[in-house]
Formats: sequence, structure tokens, C-alpha cells
Amino acid sequence: MIIKSQSRRRFTGVAALAAVALGITACSSGTSSGTDAEGGSDDVSGDITLLTPIFEGTDGQQLLEDELLPQFYEDYPDVTVSVDYTTYGNLNEKLTTAAVSGAVPDVMMMGVGWIEGFADRGLLADQSELGNTEEKLLETYTPAIVDAGTWDGGVYGMPIMLDTRYGVANMELLEEAGYDAPPSSWDELVEISEALTVRADDGTLERAGFDLLSNDPRQVFETFLFSAGGDLFNEDVTEPTFNGPEGVSALQLMTDLINEHEVEDIGFSSPDAAVNPLLNGRAAMGLAHNNLWTQGLEADPEMLENLEPFVIQGEGEGMFFGGTFATRSATSQHPEAAQALLEFLASPGPALAANEQRGNVPALTELLDSDYVQSNRFVQFSMENLDVAKREGGPPSWLEVRGDFAPAIESALLGQAEPQAALDDLAALVDEAMARQ
Amino acid sequence: MALLTPRTSTSPSATRTVRATNQSSVRRRNKLILHLLLIIGSVTMVIPFVWMLFTSVKSPAELAQFPPTFFPHEWHWSNYAEALDAAPFDKYFRNSLIIATGHTLITLVIGSMAGYALARIRFRGREIIFLSMVAMLMIPTYTKIVPQFLIVKFMPLFGGNDITGQGGSGWLDSWWALLIPGGLSAMSIFLFRQFYLTLPKELEEAARLDGLGEFRIFAQIYTPLMKPAVATVALLTFQESWNNFLWPLLVTTSDDLRVIQVGLAVFQQVEATAWQYLMAGTTLATVPMVLLFVMAQKYFIQGFTNSGIK
Repeated sequence: MIIKSQSRRRFTGVAALAAVALGITACSSGTSSGTDAEGGSDDVSGDITLLTPIFEGTDGQQLLEDELLPQFYEDYPDVTVSVDYTTYGNLNEKLTTAAVSGAVPDVMMMGVGWIEGFADRGLLADQSELGNTEEKLLETYTPAIVDAGTWDGGVYGMPIMLDTRYGVANMELLEEAGYDAPPSSWDELVEISEALTVRADDGTLERAGFDLLSNDPRQVFETFLFSAGGDLFNEDVTEPTFNGPEGVSALQLMTDLINEHEVEDIGFSSPDAAVNPLLNGRAAMGLAHNNLWTQGLEADPEMLENLEPFVIQGEGEGMFFGGTFATRSATSQHPEAAQALLEFLASPGPALAANEQRGNVPALTELLDSDYVQSNRFVQFSMENLDVAKREGGPPSWLEVRGDFAPAIESALLGQAEPQAALDDLAALVDEAMARQ
Repeated sequence: MALLTPRTSTSPSATRTVRATNQSSVRRRNKLILHLLLIIGSVTMVIPFVWMLFTSVKSPAELAQFPPTFFPHEWHWSNYAEALDAAPFDKYFRNSLIIATGHTLITLVIGSMAGYALARIRFRGREIIFLSMVAMLMIPTYTKIVPQFLIVKFMPLFGGNDITGQGGSGWLDSWWALLIPGGLSAMSIFLFRQFYLTLPKELEEAARLDGLGEFRIFAQIYTPLMKPAVATVALLTFQESWNNFLWPLLVTTSDDLRVIQVGLAVFQQVEATAWQYLMAGTTLATVPMVLLFVMAQKYFIQGFTNSGIK
């Protein structure tokens, strides 16, 4: 018994020491955030780290390390950048482990909807304190994009690239069926989709009238929700509103398209499909990512001539945007150097190059006239309609709850739950997560 | 009716012959069914692999076709060269090989000693240690990642850390982080223990009478009898280590320490997946595992049979 109690005391002591050590780490990492950010480029120095889910692969790496960073070093010769390449699929794990260990990279790229959570935990520096105020950003970006980088009155992310979802119609097929324009309302969308659906004699689907299944169900639902004039959360982001009448009608439309109008069958396509059915004529219309243009250039450039993007019109306008923002660590040991790199990456030249490399949509309004945007009809369409696009995210717990959307939406599509019930259950989960914040 | 049926008389030897013929035809039929089932099973298992090979040489245009083609119309072997150019795969391949070999060696040396100790040496707390090992098998890998990451980050006297583990990066972004935490698994110790338990105690007693110490009994008497076990654990460890993706990604920041699975992720972007390159890279990544299995398959199958692993 004595041995046991001694070992228990020893264990308690070790645990207490570990807790104190972790506490000291947390405290010490928190005290370095108040470094003065003033000084010219000659005064800026230090070895900094960049964590990025873009620029990966040889092409991206060459662009960043052989073209962009040398330009940066011309202005900041005393700064050295170590790049940590990752993928979006594992970015959350990289950021989470970095956050708990206190080894937060100086500059981090992250997605739309991610910033709130990391800013709320005090990991990100407020850009507005260093001159990047909301008002200043609104001069060069649309309000929704600026909003995606803000949290609780502060600016935490600088937009670099966007990715969008909207309707795409194969105009050759529409014209064959007697329609000369993409649908301009939900009723038209249903009518045209039904008219363009082709089934074999045995009922096997040969061509989907409208493809809902090649994208993430959450993002498809969000696009229809925005199209219904709804939002994910209320204005002050204190409660979910996606289970309101707009959300229910959006999910009802998706469910009806599959189960009542039978314009697509479950299993006909999926987000992991090798090719988007719009590119091989297996779908007449669908919800698509702007990158479909780049995929089309590789698979079938002639097909692209027939594809026409359109905003899904309902009570509102259905266009979704996500994207990549640059953020700076609140605990960076070299805040001036980190800030300089962040602003460099978000500036027109590097941002345009990064977008071109991935076939994505530049966030800066001035880049609409660039050759790249003008040569990519889907990117151009995205930029021309960014003023109506809406984003996902809102509460700091978004990363925690976003994975719950797909099962709820799929349960409605499969007829296992009524749209209202599926969204109410989902809203209860989201409420619970928000209450834990 | 029975009265009308002429009764035929057969000699016992003829009956035996008929029975033997029947038995042999039943045996043949059963064999045929078994082979048919095995062929179906083999084809089912091989088809995804063949699909991967064929996809790796298709053009993007052919991949976009519907219905999809099974045999490539044109064989684009250049996909392999282009996939290898998409990331520094030679470096990633070398790193994966070093890590997988390192993990296998650590497991074979330390895991076999631990397994031997748990199976054949009586000491206080042996059962508790063994049960703890079994309990560790139940813990999902994901739940261990953050604690392991913290241990690596706060490793004293490494990477600029002081004696309390503060001030530097510990083992992060170093070979230590890649080799040590995954070097030994509870599963391999468990497997070794089970193998050592199957060997007769008489060998140990005879060895002790001949004056052999514990280490020599382990190294010279028992372990040489366990080639199938060693091959099984080695192959499983190598495979697990070769396929590891998340841990190497989390603990490294420099591209010089990245592994082949991380390299393959380059082809799977959020926007789209370059299937032809992903399949070409995956085909190349499977080559070492296939070779290793071909070389060790005799022992591997024996090991699986002896341990009852399915």
C-alpha cells in the first residue's frame, strides 16, 4: 500500500509538472504577440514559416520558390521563409497539432469558414491593427469576401483565391430540347431538368437532367439555400437559420429533383467520380465547381463551348464561394516579416499567379481584367457575379459541425427523413456545438 | 410397383467400385466448385489492381469517356514520367524506405525481446503489462496523435529544447520523430508473444541445462525457430510504415523529410483528382510491397497459419 501510494503521489507530481510545463508554454507563447510591427523593409528580418495547402506539387512549389519568393526576397533580403506544404484534407490536423503544441507557423493559409475558429482561440493576429482595416479591404474586395476574413470586429484573413459553385448548362442539349437559355427560376430548372433527363427502356438513367451529386452535399445544399434567399446563420451568428422555411424549401427541391422528378438517381455520380458528368454528356445541367473549366480543357475542350454557367435563381441568387485566405500567427516571433510575407502573397501579382496555377478565382476585383481571367470563362463568370455570392461558415465551431451536414442532407435525399426533420436535427447539433464555445 | 421392379444383384467388389467412382466424381465436383469459387475470389481481388494499372496509362480524354473503357485505347506511358515530375518522388521514396526499414528493424529487435519476455519469463506484473498491451490495441490511432505530437515537441535536449523540453522544436521535423514513435507497436509485441508461447518449454529447459543464459535462449534457441513469425511481423510492420501518411505529414515541415504517401496526395486536390497520375504513382508505390511479399510469401503464409491471423 505504501508503494502504491508513493507511486500515485509520484504520478500526481509528474502530471502536475506536465500541466505546469504546458501552462508555461502557453503563457510564454502568448506573451510574444505584442511585438512592434513598425519599420521599413531593411529593418524587417527573421526566419519565418509558411504553412500552405496551395502551391503543393512540383508546379506549385516552383511557382512559389523559384518565382514568387525571390521577388519577396528582393524587398526583404533579411527574411528567410521555410515552407510547409500540406493538403486541405489534412490542414485541420496540422493546424490543431500546431496550436496545442504552441508551434504555430508564422503565416498560415486557411479556408473560408476556418478563420473564425482559430481567431476565436487567439491564434491569429488582427490585421486591422497593422493597417488592413475592413474599410481599406472593401476598396479592393467585395463585402462578402472581406466578411469571410473577419471575426468579432477584427480582420484576421487576407483573401488570396476563391472557388465557386453555380449552375452549368449544356446549351447544345438545351437547344435541342427547345430551350435557348439556362433556367431563370426553380420552376424552369425543374421543367428543363425533366425534359432533358434520358432513361433507357428498362428505366436505367442514361443522362441526368440536373446533376446534384458530383459536389459535396453540404455545398450543394448551401447553394440552393442561398438561391432560396436563406442563410446558414442569423446576422449576429448566434443561432442557425438553415432550418427555416428557405432551407426546408431548398432541401425539398433537392429531394424532389431526385425522388419525384427523377432527374438523377442516387449513385449516378459522386464527389469522387473520375469525371464530372457534364464533361462527357451524362448530365445536361448540374451544379459545378469553377475548376470544371480546367478539367474540361484536359478532357474535352470542345465540350466547353457548349457549357454555360448560370446563377441558380430562386427567391435569392444561388452562388457559393469558398477560398483560401492568408493569416498571421498572433504569437509570431517575427511579426513584421510575417506581415510582409502575408501582404506580398495577397498582392495582385502573386495572387494572380497562384489562382492561375490552380484554375481558381482571384479575390481582388482589379484582376477581372487580367488575361488569365478573360481566358477562363468560368472564372470570369465567377468574378462578374461575386457580388451575389455567399459563403459558408460563421461561428467558431464551424469546422466542428460542417461534417454533420452531409449525413443530414443525404438522409433527406434517400427519403429516410423529411427535409424539415433532417434540418431540425442538424440545427440541434449545431446549436449544441455553438453553446459549447 | 416394387414387386414388378426386377431386383439386380451386385457383388461387393462391384458395389465398392461404384461407390469409389461416385466418391471420386463427388470429390472432382467439389474440387471444381472450390476452384471456381477461388478463381472468382482471385479475379475480384485482382481486378481493382488491374484497373489501377490500366487507369495509370489512360489519357484524361479517355478517362472522361462514358461508358468507361477497361483496356486503354492508347497506352500513355508518359503518365509515369509526368507523375514522377509532379513531386520529388525519388526523395519521398528514399525517405519511405528508410522509415519502413527502420521501423521493421526496431520492431524485430525490441518487439521480439518484449514478446519473448512476456511469453517465457516469469516476473511480477507480467500479466498486467500484457493486458496493458492488449488494451493499447483498442486505442484508435487518431486519439494518440496529439499526445504523441506533444511528447515529440517537448522532447528534452533536442531541437533546441532545454532539460524541461522548452524553447525549441524537440524532435519535430527530424528523423527522430519519424523513426522513434512509430518504431514499435503493441500489435507486434502481442504477435511475438503469441508465437513464442507456441514453442515447447522442453527446449528452454534443455538449453538451461546446457548452461545457456536467457539472452542466448532467446537469440539462439527460440528465435531461429520462428522464421515465419519474424517474416509475418516484419512484413506487417513494413507495410504499415510504408503506408503511413498522417504522422509523417504532421511532424515534418521540410519537404526533405516527406514520404511517398504524402507525395501521392499532390494528385488529389480539393478541386479535382488527377486520376491517371494518382494511379501511376500508386502503382509505383506498391512495387516494393509486392516484391517483399513475393520474396517472403512462404514464411508469411506459414506465419499467418500458425498465428491464426485472418
